[in-house]
Amino acid sequence: MDPSCQQYFDAIPCYLTVQDRDFRILRANRRFREAFGAHEGRFCYQVYKQRAEKCEVCPVERSFGDGEGHRSEERVTCLDGREVSVIVYTEPIRDEQGHIVSVMEMSTDITDIKKLEAQLRRSQARYRTLFEEVPCYISIQDRDLNIIDANRLHREAFGTFLGCKCFEVYKHRSEECYPCSVRQTFDDGEMRVHEEVVTSRQGRMMNVLVHTTPIVGPSGIDAVMEMSADITAVRELQSQLASIGLLISSISHGLKGLLNGLNGGMYLVNKGLASGDQARVVKGWDIVQRNVERIRAMVLEILYYAKDREPDWKPLVASAVIDDVLQQMADRAREAGIACTADVDPGAGEFEGDEMAIRALLINLCENSLDACRLDRKKPSHTVTLRAHGDEGHVRFVIEDNGVGMERETREKAFSLFFSSKGSEGTGLGLFVSNKIAKAHGGSIDIASEVDVGTRFTVTLPRVRLAPATDRQVLQTATRTRTSPDTVPGTGSPG
Amino acid sequence: MSAKKTILIIDDEPDTLTYFSSLLEDNGYATVTAENGAQALERVKEARPDLVTLDISMPETSGVRCYRELREHEEWRAIPIIIVTGISEDFRTFISSRKHVPPPDGYLSKPIDEPEFLAMVTRLLAKPVR
Repeated sequence: MDPSCQQYFDAIPCYLTVQDRDFRILRANRRFREAFGAHEGRFCYQVYKQRAEKCEVCPVERSFGDGEGHRSEERVTCLDGREVSVIVYTEPIRDEQGHIVSVMEMSTDITDIKKLEAQLRRSQARYRTLFEEVPCYISIQDRDLNIIDANRLHREAFGTFLGCKCFEVYKHRSEECYPCSVRQTFDDGEMRVHEEVVTSRQGRMMNVLVHTTPIVGPSGIDAVMEMSADITAVRELQSQLASIGLLISSISHGLKGLLNGLNGGMYLVNKGLASGDQARVVKGWDIVQRNVERIRAMVLEILYYAKDREPDWKPLVASAVIDDVLQQMADRAREAGIACTADVDPGAGEFEGDEMAIRALLINLCENSLDACRLDRKKPSHTVTLRAHGDEGHVRFVIEDNGVGMERETREKAFSLFFSSKGSEGTGLGLFVSNKIAKAHGGSIDIASEVDVGTRFTVTLPRVRLAPATDRQVLQTATRTRTSPDTVPGTGSPG
Repeated sequence: MSAKKTILIIDDEPDTLTYFSSLLEDNGYATVTAENGAQALERVKEARPDLVTLDISMPETSGVRCYRELREHEEWRAIPIIIVTGISEDFRTFISSRKHVPPPDGYLSKPIDEPEFLAMVTRLLAKPVR
């Protein structure tokens, strides 16, 4: 070899050899010699891999065979025992007649690149694990809002819908949400945080706190990552705290009114006693008794609200329950000049229930009816009628009045917590508690009402107690009524 | 001897109406009562009261609406109004902060303090008509 060629040959920064058809190394550069030692008389596979025979796949052999250059990746072992990853290029060398006489093999050390690649793979696996197992829902969306990746929790909650639109999967909508924070993040590259209500594939509504983050590639934002944390429990707790706040406010308002009434009664009693006016004493004492009774009823309502009770199941006779309720209501009805009657069908029979709770339920409804009659100025006389009848599976109690009746809105919100149409007299607990008791017994309350005509409450209860597991579900359902969207607390008057 | 001053008591609670009318009549005033906002406006027309005590939480026409109607009416806006309610003290701040409606002349929480109530009535009735 020409000395100047040898100089260039030696200076090339890779392992360079020229091999014959038997893979014998004819020539090698300085870098090769430094790493692998003397080559004279040795075969390529001996030097690089300490093998006794040629490799199964050999790029040199292929170049001899087809006259083309070839590429492969190999691991070779240096003199000092160090393993080196190399990328191998071969090129045939031809004589003047064009016959291939040898093949040049250039092997570049890519050990560092291989190490980096391995690190990258480990890192990717680590981030994939993090992505999969992080306790929030993660999806990656493209510019068309298609979900192109999603983590395990997301797949479990929303199903595997890669390629589907995020608004279809999260909200079962057919159109894009407005505003769409994913689109906004695509537009300006800014992270965004907002709250959403989404629906899982099992139909569960969830409050989620959503973060959107751009995923930036060499040519700009490739995708947007949407991370959603389930904060339903937080919102439910918040709602319960708000309910407690409203309850305290409602009780406080109710008690202030009742204390004012008690003061009024005491004032009349004292003045009557001082002046010897017996009529005034009686009038005042009636007011005191009435307000004490109302405070007692309010305390009972609060107790029923405060605790989810398992009904204390006992066999009950419908006619006896009606008699009991009628007896309790008689004085109030008489004072208000309202006729209170009962009509019990012999078929009403027996049923199982919590005696105290059923009585409280029916008294609440009767008091509501008495109030509706008292507020009505348009009819000369008023009647509240209690009925009981039943069929094989159910007993029904009907409380009917010819009072003021309810507007549609009042009727729809009647069982909502803290909703009251009765001004300072209502705490908004009575009908809520009644409904809760009916549901805890596996029953229901229906309202039929017309303004200026009257109202009919129908309480339907199963004759036989529910199985314990179902009981618990029903009690939970009754409890959830507090926070369901159509019974948002605070819809009542300010009290 | 001058005619008795007339006070209109507006409250949906019958016991409160009985209480306030007895208390005020015992102290030399004439009283008329109304159980709701709509009835109250009728009573104002009929009785032309010198002072009004007004509950806030009432069915149908609420005390807030009744207050606004009294204040916006040319003839009635000079009648002193004492709000007597069981709802939170926050309401006092709320009603006093309304820009387009003047604040109430008096504000008392239930249960009332009788001497304070009577002193407020006396003071407001002694004021020259605005």
